[in-house]
Amino acid sequence: MKSFFRMTYPYILWIAVFIVAPMIMILLYALTKDGNRTLIFRFTLENFTRFFSDPTFMRVLFTSLRIALFTTVFCILIGYPAALFIANLSERAQTMMVLLLTLPMWINMLLKTYAWRGILMNFDNLESEVKVFIGMVYDFLPYMIIQIHTSIAKMDRELLTAAYDLGANKWKTFLKVTLPLSVPGIISGITLVFLPAVSSFVIPKLLGGGDYVLIGNLIETFFVTTGDWNFGSAISLVMALIIIASMWLTKKMDRNAKED
Amino acid sequence: MEKKKRSPWSFMSNGYLLLVLLFIYLPIAYVVVFSFNEGKSMTKFSGFSLRWYENMFSDRTMLDSIKYTVLVAVIATLISTVMGTIAAIGLSKARPLVRSAILETNNLPVMNPDIVTAIGMMLLFIVAGVRLSLTTLILSHITFCTPYVILTIMPKLRQLDDNVAEAALDLGANPWQALVKVILPQIYPAILSGALIAFSMSFDDFVISFFTAGVGINNISMYVYSMKRYNPSVNALSTLIVIVVTLILILVNVIPYIKDKKTLKEETRR
Amino acid sequence: MKKAILILLVLCLLPLPLTAGAEQVLNVYNWGEYIDKQVITDFEKEFGVRVNYSVYDSNETMYTKLMSGASYDVIIPSDYMIERLIREGLLQPIDKNVVTNLGCLCEGVLNMEYDPDNTYSVPYLWQTVGIVYDTTRISPEEMEEQGFSAFLNPDYKGHVYMYDSERDAFMVALKALGYSANTSDMNELNAAYEWLRNMDKAVRPSYVTDEVIDAMANGEKWMALVYSGDAAYILSENEDMGYCTPKEGTNVAIDAMVIPANASNPELANIFINYILEYETSLMISTEVGYASSNAQVLAELSGEGGDYEGNDAYLPRSGYSLDEIYHDIPEELRSQYSSMWIKVKLHE
Repeated sequence: MKSFFRMTYPYILWIAVFIVAPMIMILLYALTKDGNRTLIFRFTLENFTRFFSDPTFMRVLFTSLRIALFTTVFCILIGYPAALFIANLSERAQTMMVLLLTLPMWINMLLKTYAWRGILMNFDNLESEVKVFIGMVYDFLPYMIIQIHTSIAKMDRELLTAAYDLGANKWKTFLKVTLPLSVPGIISGITLVFLPAVSSFVIPKLLGGGDYVLIGNLIETFFVTTGDWNFGSAISLVMALIIIASMWLTKKMDRNAKED
Repeated sequence: MEKKKRSPWSFMSNGYLLLVLLFIYLPIAYVVVFSFNEGKSMTKFSGFSLRWYENMFSDRTMLDSIKYTVLVAVIATLISTVMGTIAAIGLSKARPLVRSAILETNNLPVMNPDIVTAIGMMLLFIVAGVRLSLTTLILSHITFCTPYVILTIMPKLRQLDDNVAEAALDLGANPWQALVKVILPQIYPAILSGALIAFSMSFDDFVISFFTAGVGINNISMYVYSMKRYNPSVNALSTLIVIVVTLILILVNVIPYIKDKKTLKEETRR
Repeated sequence: MKKAILILLVLCLLPLPLTAGAEQVLNVYNWGEYIDKQVITDFEKEFGVRVNYSVYDSNETMYTKLMSGASYDVIIPSDYMIERLIREGLLQPIDKNVVTNLGCLCEGVLNMEYDPDNTYSVPYLWQTVGIVYDTTRISPEEMEEQGFSAFLNPDYKGHVYMYDSERDAFMVALKALGYSANTSDMNELNAAYEWLRNMDKAVRPSYVTDEVIDAMANGEKWMALVYSGDAAYILSENEDMGYCTPKEGTNVAIDAMVIPANASNPELANIFINYILEYETSLMISTEVGYASSNAQVLAELSGEGGDYEGNDAYLPRSGYSLDEIYHDIPEELRSQYSSMWIKVKLHE
């Protein structure tokens, strides 16, 4: 199997240069002050203490996590049946559906959000929170559907037939065969929806009537408007750590549940 | 198959899919309609006009932006799909600890806000003394597209029966043959989905492109996000994209169909 | 699918630039939607050159991009950003032997503090910050009487847009309190912060950016903080709307053309700047964009009898009013303070 692992070398090199090296620089910024003015580093934890000493920032982070969580849940609830139904179509129709789902992603997100703003204007009685979720679910739903569909498409038909033959009904077959097989797809769907959703802020800002201050907005403000790369880096690292920790906990709980 | 289609179950499932498609295409339809709006508003339709199309075709910056967007997206998708597929296959055979370490790193560009990835890449290029150009733009697109490809392919690889590849190796196939003849055909749909997602990510990126593109290189998103005031020509532009892609989709789906019919006819003639 | 990729490849390779090697290139960096595109085409034709036109959405994103070492020939930042660029030695002087049209510039834009002799910068368009309001809801007298304190009037609760920019929001508060918009006195800033919190409580504004233009043109709310150039567009779309330049004094902003120190074609850049100043060009730009021209003749014509912006209260910025101020560049620590406080205002804390 060693020969297979060698296939990852190019990519390992790539992430070392283009992902790890930039992240180390971001880390350096988070641990210093005035880093973008002079080459003399002054190591400090000031940026982190500033973040944790002011409850505002944590509040903003938790609002973002909450919105991302709900978006992910809605995407699974709406996307799972869709993926399942697509997998039951003929092969050509499946390809067609996947293409039809991706096409809208090529239209600029900002533009589609402006369109939603226009559409939702006609529904004045909608809560702004509902509008935000419509926009967020809209943006991320195709990713979830495609991920889940990919994992259940071309699934062993024989497994299903066998299950039927053994007298299992549709519901039982789904629970015992299809669902377990689709778990990896759901997990990567969650990754693709939850992770970017935490830091996205344009949709909530445009559809929520400017009532949402989110972590992505905060980070961008400090990087660009304020020009305080040190604090911006610190916020983004805290966010990354909290997300990684929560994903890790989820996985651990998932594993524990399986062992039971 | 025929019998299945008439059952109430498939009626319901097709209805559901139709609803999802309606939801997804609603704003697109809205954009298309407003590309013919006479006024500048995105909320009030004041009359039919083709002025935004004229406007678009006379705007060279905008036309250039289409060119750069497609060019970068195609190259980035091709490279990241190949690299991502190979890496994912390799990773599926790696030790769990190594695998999860690499996958966590792989998640960073997905998780980080765009601005962090963008500034990180820009710093990298500054430190390396590389001048921003079309190449740096493509490099950064490959960097944030590949993780999506890997994330899409990995679950399919986990379902794959390990024994099949090993059996191929035991029967004297070299790893390359095992890869091309055994593994690739089984994960082909996942590769396709990964490539499509990568293409969409590249196509729609603004922040990272803004900070890593060379002087004079603008993509569609940079154009749209920098508008001080809404210019409905971008609606016209999007409509154009929708039309072109639809045409390609129709071509791709109709040509094999015609071919099928032809061969069928020839066979019956014989 | 392979075919689809192939078709796409061909499609995108077709229009690849067939650049003639000898052609001179000018890299212009400007705000999005801030010029009449015809000007670029005309300039290219007249001088036989190629203009590489790029856009940005704020002074700060432009500045960050410059830090990568990107080399542009002409950039059009605002006053305070020019001040910073000059201080950091990132600009080169304008060649006044080439830029000879400076005489046509109007009063109120020349020799400002950020560049006292206009050594480095040539004004492009200018504006004030003011209030667009629905005259069917708030009478002009009421509005003029209240000025910025209208943002504290609970009668307007739920009908107010506030521009989501910390600098502009603090300017409103500082001006309403009678302080300078460029203050670094923490007591004054804290007072401004309290003022903004009161505003948030009193009128519960929606914090918006550029979507405010379309929204006010549709009359979605009663009043909004807007740049005068955008207000000019709103007023021309919706005749119920009025514009008020608050009596407490406000920010006057000047966007001016500069040549970066690392420009690769400064000669052509000077020619371009001079070309922009010409009557015809200035007229096209100001007509298209709606921001006030820096060309005196154009300004008078567009706002005067028979002009495109005749009777439009927002087009012609107030000038020579002693309480009006141009922004100065403020240090990073202060900007960071602004950001933190502004977030708290928006979170209703």
